[in-house]
Amino acid sequence: MTPFLFKAAFCAYLLSTLGYVTSILGKRVRIARASLWLMSAAFGFHSLFLLFRIVERGHIPILGYHEVLNLFAWIMAGIFIFFQFRTRTVVLGAFVSPVVLLMMIYASRGIGSVAVMPAVLKGTLVPVHVLLSLTGEALFALASCAGAMYLLQDHFLKRKKARRVSSILPSLGDLDRINHLCLLWGFPLLTLGVLMGAFWARVVWGSSWQWDPKQVWTLAVWGTYAVLLHQRLAIGWKGHKTAVFSLLAFLFFLTAFLVGKNLFPTIHRFV
Amino acid sequence: MGILLIGMSHKTSPLAIRERLSLSCENSGHPLERLRQMPSVREALYLATCNRVEVLVCTPDQAEREAGEGLKALLAERAKITLSELERCLYAFSDAEAVRHLFRVASSLDSLVMGEAQILGQVKEAYRVAVEQKATGMMLNRILHHAFQAAKRVRTETGIADNAVSVGFAAVELAKKIFGRLEGKAILLVGAGEMSELAARHLLKQGISTIFVANRTYARAEEIAGLFEGTAVSLEQIPEVLKKVDIAISSTGAPDYVLTREMVASALHRRKNRFLFLIDIAVPRDIEPSAGEIDNVYLYNIDHLQELVDENRHLREREAAKAEIILEEEIQNHLDWISSLEVVPTIVRFREKIEGIMKAELEKSASWRQALSESDQNHVESLVSSVVNKILHEPTACLREESRNRNGLAYAAALRRLFKLEK
Repeated sequence: MTPFLFKAAFCAYLLSTLGYVTSILGKRVRIARASLWLMSAAFGFHSLFLLFRIVERGHIPILGYHEVLNLFAWIMAGIFIFFQFRTRTVVLGAFVSPVVLLMMIYASRGIGSVAVMPAVLKGTLVPVHVLLSLTGEALFALASCAGAMYLLQDHFLKRKKARRVSSILPSLGDLDRINHLCLLWGFPLLTLGVLMGAFWARVVWGSSWQWDPKQVWTLAVWGTYAVLLHQRLAIGWKGHKTAVFSLLAFLFFLTAFLVGKNLFPTIHRFV
Repeated sequence: MGILLIGMSHKTSPLAIRERLSLSCENSGHPLERLRQMPSVREALYLATCNRVEVLVCTPDQAEREAGEGLKALLAERAKITLSELERCLYAFSDAEAVRHLFRVASSLDSLVMGEAQILGQVKEAYRVAVEQKATGMMLNRILHHAFQAAKRVRTETGIADNAVSVGFAAVELAKKIFGRLEGKAILLVGAGEMSELAARHLLKQGISTIFVANRTYARAEEIAGLFEGTAVSLEQIPEVLKKVDIAISSTGAPDYVLTREMVASALHRRKNRFLFLIDIAVPRDIEPSAGEIDNVYLYNIDHLQELVDENRHLREREAAKAEIILEEEIQNHLDWISSLEVVPTIVRFREKIEGIMKAELEKSASWRQALSESDQNHVESLVSSVVNKILHEPTACLREESRNRNGLAYAAALRRLFKLEK
């Protein structure tokens, strides 16, 4: 059952991505709306898949990059669909769905493998740490998608090219609102997630901080977003500046993740 | 049964005549009452908007001419002009052409501003009144429903109504692209002018509730503010007001900039970088162009808006070509329905007539057939009836088949003529 559910979710994500791309190229909002339904269906299959997987293995699938990115894709899709109730940004899916699909492609390469849960991860705090951090990061990913689309729309409006492409993109107000909500929720969630991790490290490794590369870059990313949130809430940054900054911040996060993953040894690796 | 449409539009007649035919002049009651009394009119619809008058009627067979004369007389009387004056502004269509015209009108392809949404509502309203007055029947009901369906297809399947084609609407569309929702936003009107007031009116319709009006003379500002239930302010207060509003429309006759870059930048700082949409309708310009370079400030002048409108007009024209194809399809569907309507009764009458002949002949032969045995009599009867059925089979089957395409009507007419089926 689980392989079928994963395949169903994968296909639905693929179709919705194709739909979204068509809607942007063909400038038809209706196709984007249909794609949102497809994405919701994909999210449904994906949720069932995770549920079956948890029942099957007896723990939340958080071992290794395949499982973590799979979870990340699920959270990101879920949050995006949730935002559709609060904003009129259906076309934003054209930037979100390819990201989700990419993660699903990566996840699909290792989703069947069975890994043994190492002793160091056996504790209720671990899934909480992972879920909180992933949700925070997924919110940041969404903020960057909204930021990218904001910059596109901003470009059209500033250059007086508010023509057909612009007419299908969401409004600056809605995109900025998503950016705001993502930062507002993402930052405290990531903070809690990191604290949980630090607490667990103290339990299993004896100290909260090991100067591990992964810990260092996580802290750097956390600091970047702390600055961004401060600028937004206290200084009154809005619109263009936050869009640019959240895009850069996420690129920084992505670079740190990829460099850390491929070049540095870390004790924060379990499979 | 025939369909007849006569009318006039902004293309064929001056406003002076059209306005006399509008419904607001209750000079001689609703024209539907008069139309229904005409013996040559079975069903009727009367549509009058500021841009057109259309009378659509369904007439009994052979009564089209009479109905046409009647309609013209009625319109001439209502417009208080002579028949020959009226005829210069009129167009008249019958049957398929009438259907095509109505479909084009309902889909807004014949409108002054192509793709405008109002006309469909007006046609629906005219239809509602006609139904209420029991002036419509099977034919018009079907035509109108088909027209609504066609108009809906045109709206959803083409982009004919997608983009704003007036400066006021272009401003609304841009504001929506910037702010998303316009409820609760505030606007500032600097100076007076038809175009800026129109743009303000469009924006107010979108749920903007707060409006400030600034003018060189305070009294004039108060006057305009009164029109919109807004607040009048002096020109000196603009930097202060700029902090509170989201959209500013400027159209003064001032030779210098009324809004400088510095003013906008400082206001933006104090409003915590909330979006500011500046519309400069004035010539020479009121707002320093470099103000548009500031982040979160969107500055459009009259040329930018006009360019947008022109391009949208062009786009609509392109979409209109697609709409015509859709309409062609829908018209075809409707004509097929009409032709099936004509063919079926013809077939029935054809059979009745031939069977009538057969019965009459059998009765005539009753005297000599008495000499035959009962079984032979039955044989003769079944022989005759089987010959008749064999002969009838091919033409009726053929007619049914032809009724599915456009030729049905012609075949039915030929059949009626050949066998004298007209009553």
